[in-house]
Amino acid sequence: MKSFLTLLKNELKLNIRNMNMVIFAVIMPLIVLLILGLLNGTRSAADGVEYTFMEQSFGALCTISICAGGLMGLPLVISEYRERKILKRFQVTPVSPIKLLAVELSIYIIYCLVSMITLIPVAMIFWKVTIHGSWLAFLGSWLLTMISTLSIGMMVGGIAKNSKSASVIACLLYFPMLIFSGTTLPFEVMPEPMQK
Amino acid sequence: MRKSAKFWNLSLLRFTSIPKFSIRKFSDCTFLDNSIECILGTKQADKGQVSILGYNPRKDRRKLFQKVGVQFQECDYQPEIKVSELCEETACLYKTPADWRELCSQFGIGSKIKNDVKSLSGGERQRLFIVLALIPNPEIVFLDELTTGLDAKARRDVWKILSDLKKKGLSIFLTSHFMDEVEVLCDEICILKKGKVVFYGTVEESKAVSGSKKFEDAYLILSGEEVDGE
Repeated sequence: MKSFLTLLKNELKLNIRNMNMVIFAVIMPLIVLLILGLLNGTRSAADGVEYTFMEQSFGALCTISICAGGLMGLPLVISEYRERKILKRFQVTPVSPIKLLAVELSIYIIYCLVSMITLIPVAMIFWKVTIHGSWLAFLGSWLLTMISTLSIGMMVGGIAKNSKSASVIACLLYFPMLIFSGTTLPFEVMPEPMQK
Repeated sequence: MRKSAKFWNLSLLRFTSIPKFSIRKFSDCTFLDNSIECILGTKQADKGQVSILGYNPRKDRRKLFQKVGVQFQECDYQPEIKVSELCEETACLYKTPADWRELCSQFGIGSKIKNDVKSLSGGERQRLFIVLALIPNPEIVFLDELTTGLDAKARRDVWKILSDLKKKGLSIFLTSHFMDEVEVLCDEICILKKGKVVFYGTVEESKAVSGSKKFEDAYLILSGEEVDGE
């Protein structure tokens, strides 16, 4: 356990020093939130519905950091560590591979948590966003999204030969999901044949 | 790897039959890299078994590497990592690690602890990798072409470190392309030719077998790489 925490501390430090994930997983969702908030304010999502546009988009904003971590950060880190033979160095130490992967996974879970924790108060204070359903269901679906996306990331990191092919595979998965899943572009604005 | 199937059997059998390690030398780099990886279990040998300190490096990895320190030739580290972080990260993996701060100052990089690893000079970096290999308090260390790319002074510094370690009773498995280094440091040497063991013994024995006065000549004769016109 002690080695896990020491590894986590150092790997997290390295990851933050790298800044990529801080920008894409923490700062970017906040910026998108601000832009959407300033554009839409507390306007309702459509005529005659109870919830505001911001409330509708809030779930999507929370998944930005999950996707950034799971489809950009995690696969790149894993494949880069293999390419640079850092994993080989760990292979000649007594550390178990599961522990090492768990450390990397925890880092991205921390990013997702930080992102959500910063988004919630900002959205609540400035645009009076509330969760209409139960918090438990919201957190549950958030957890499910995170676990499934991060495991896709682990898989990509595992199958890619080097960090270049990892980023290609990650992009192939990331952008269609980003555009067509309804996270960034609301499902309702898509052309009718696509909705079906 | 498959092409050189014969090699793995031969050389690995030789290694396992040697009960105690001491400073040794191998040559012929492409086969060499593979053979070291096979010994340490990071690559699978086609045939044969490897045993270090009585452990199988693949199956008993976690037990074995508590007692073995390794420095790979193309040893890499996370970009942006600092000396202290790299040492701390390595030390936390072992049950009874040595004090890395003490090791760093012992090897003359005590003042560089807070620096980035990439900002170190070649000699300092090699000393850092020796420190990393010594953190587990090992019984054996594997050092792969430790002095390649160092200037004369840094090389001599590393020699001194290795000789001191040898005096303390540590077994060192060293690979090198420099014959002067091998002659000074190694108790037992092993020369590979195209992946096969062509000589195993002491420096003096190699001179006697090849009938040459200088060790470098002996090496060239034994490995069949004689310079034309000599």
